[in-house]
Amino acid sequence: MMTAMVIAMLTAITVWWLLIQRLKDKPWMTQGVVPTSQEGLTSSAPKVALWAFLIVVASLFGIFASAYTLRMQGHGGLATWQPLQEPSVLWINTLVLVFASGAMQIARNRIDQDNIAGGRGYFFGAGLLTLVFLAGQVLAWQQAQANGNLGPSNPAFAFFVLLTAVHGLHMLGGLLVLGRTTVRLWRNAGTTNVVSRSKLRLSVELCTTYWHWLLLVWLGLFALLLST
Amino acid sequence: MAYVAIADRDHHLHDPQTFIEKYIWSQDHKVIAIQYGSVAIGVGLVALVLSLLMRLQIGFPDTFSFITPYNYYQFVTMHGMIMVIYLLTALFLGGFGNYLIPLMCGARDMVFPYMNMLSFWVYLVSVIVLLASFFVPGGPTGAGWTLYPPQTVLEGTPGSDWGIVLMLASLAIFIVAFTMGGLNYVTTVLQARCRGMTLMRMPLSVWGIFVATILGLLAFPALLVAAIMMLLDRLIGTSFFMPALMSLGDINGTEGGSPILFQHLFWFFGHPEVYIVALPAFGIVSDLLSTHARKNIFGYRMMVWAIVAIGALSFVVWAHHMYVSGMNPYFGFFFATTTLIIAIPTAIKVYNWVLTLWRGDIQINIPNLFAIGFIFTFVHGGLTGLFLGNVTVDLPLSDTYFVIGHFHMVMGVSPVMVLFGAIYHWFPKLTGKMPNELLGRIHFWMTFLGTYAIYLPMHYIGILGMPRRYYAYGTTDFIPESAHAVNEAITIAAIVVATAQVIFLINVFYSLRKGKTAPDNPWGATTLEWQTPQTPPVHGNWGPKLPVVYRWAYDYSVPGEAKDFIPQNEPPKGHSSLA
Repeated sequence: MMTAMVIAMLTAITVWWLLIQRLKDKPWMTQGVVPTSQEGLTSSAPKVALWAFLIVVASLFGIFASAYTLRMQGHGGLATWQPLQEPSVLWINTLVLVFASGAMQIARNRIDQDNIAGGRGYFFGAGLLTLVFLAGQVLAWQQAQANGNLGPSNPAFAFFVLLTAVHGLHMLGGLLVLGRTTVRLWRNAGTTNVVSRSKLRLSVELCTTYWHWLLLVWLGLFALLLST
Repeated sequence: MAYVAIADRDHHLHDPQTFIEKYIWSQDHKVIAIQYGSVAIGVGLVALVLSLLMRLQIGFPDTFSFITPYNYYQFVTMHGMIMVIYLLTALFLGGFGNYLIPLMCGARDMVFPYMNMLSFWVYLVSVIVLLASFFVPGGPTGAGWTLYPPQTVLEGTPGSDWGIVLMLASLAIFIVAFTMGGLNYVTTVLQARCRGMTLMRMPLSVWGIFVATILGLLAFPALLVAAIMMLLDRLIGTSFFMPALMSLGDINGTEGGSPILFQHLFWFFGHPEVYIVALPAFGIVSDLLSTHARKNIFGYRMMVWAIVAIGALSFVVWAHHMYVSGMNPYFGFFFATTTLIIAIPTAIKVYNWVLTLWRGDIQINIPNLFAIGFIFTFVHGGLTGLFLGNVTVDLPLSDTYFVIGHFHMVMGVSPVMVLFGAIYHWFPKLTGKMPNELLGRIHFWMTFLGTYAIYLPMHYIGILGMPRRYYAYGTTDFIPESAHAVNEAITIAAIVVATAQVIFLINVFYSLRKGKTAPDNPWGATTLEWQTPQTPPVHGNWGPKLPVVYRWAYDYSVPGEAKDFIPQNEPPKGHSSLA
């Protein structure tokens, strides 16, 4: 705990120092238009917003993980933690999600090169694999419950279901966007409108980033579950 | 080729056509700001009435038979939660954030107007769910605004059947609303500033709102985690927070849960929350003081750095709310140290506000009265914070009225002073009408002196040892008769302050109907929102072309200039305008 705090402090100081480097202007000294300044709404706004959201997601799961660790240590109470026997299906699920992310990356690369017809199949496939992953997670709940005849009063089991459910909800939210984008990829594939095509590319790029991020989150959660 | 901003080139702004699109399902940031503000003030009035009921009980015990101990704890809980989350957070960020960010940055709207609209409607749902708890069996939760387990979900605590479920659900919904709004505010500040508006030319109001939003985005997840886990403890019998215990003679079936874990989660959100409310207030008050003292803000860079530093530090002080819960002494030392370190950037800000006023051409108008009033209340609230930040001083004072006095001064009265100052300051831009000066002054003096009459004596009865959270004190040796008399006086002062808020509402409605028409820039301010072609600004804010910014936001009383202010979009001498 103390180590984590020191690391957090050092990170905060580093970030602060870096920020200060950006914030060294003396605005009262200079007038006129600064040549490097941006010009109104920039085209990268959706990417910035997505990254901001991903940081919020990371914060949410980071806090869940801290709560998990503290509860496991019996922080402030009697330790009654009985470790969970992780269902084996989780390994398969993880592999499926890695494939989903990979398919998404192939789709993105192809659509980036304007090969929409060649990429959209992979994009759709990534969605299907994600559905398989979610079904697998539900199966994992059943397996875990059957393994130890567990109920909500077992904290390891409750945490397992809670963490995977929150992660699954984030994947479901992603699937909604993926579904919409898939429809557009089929409907607008032939469009010659430059703006429409660049919007399609952007949607695919954002989905890909989101999928990779949620894969990372899942790998972190899985490692946490396995190590306890 | 003439310069055309990207936002002017090929940009179709959602164009509202019908009444419903314009005023109800509106995507215009100004309308959403007013919607957010109105709902926040409306629900805040509910919380104000609740506080009066509490004060009636404390000031005149055994007088009001309808205030039972059961109700009293419900009033305490709902008053606290509504004021902190549903009024202050929503009004500063949803209200002023929405109104000021696009206007002050020179944007036409938020980057994602549709999501912005959703944010308001989801916020409204959270308020409705919260208020619905007044009408369910058992009424709202009475667990205290910190909702500490295990008592929060145990039978015997008011509202433990339905009230607590609705409270937790409402908080979760609020966090969803805030996240949608917050992503918009951050992205708009980073990506939609007009040409020439560098980060270091942004007015401090935008800086305060921006950093507060980042704090909110990172801290609210902790509350969400706590709310979800407690909801599961309550509804399906998990034991995240619930230890094994006997309740009303029965073993409740849970085992091993950690109530302290909840406290960590709650305060990991709860302390940044203080700054989510305070940082926008710091920013806005800087702009009010500079504008109405006709002087540039003292130490602009230092003010920006202080906002960033306070924001970062606010994440490493949370456990100073938990000294009485018991902790490793090294932890106490650590958190006391970080808490006291926050005093440094905060003191820098206070000095800079005072130095901004120093030898300024101070205008004694309503916004400035509130801004100067804020410096007083904030210094008082801040200094008592230094007492409470120390473990050994906090332990005896923590459960007394001293704490009530401290936190109401520092994060109740102070932000509210700024809110009123801000409402009076931007009222002409919002409505096109000037607020009534006399009513505004009466409102200020009654509020300013009245809140001192409420909270200053609380410090004394706190040091005397008068415990907080009690429904009635009866006759005890350590509480002298004079303390009861003080409590009566506090209650009377509270009624006076509440009456002053009625005067404020009268002023708003009277000025809306009968107020003098406001000129475009009545205060002679430099920031962009006062330079819009219309007052109030119309949809799209800027007409055909976005403004171009040539200078920082604080060119007041520049030597050698005819006017005592130079707007941010006025080109330097000898330059032609690019806009």
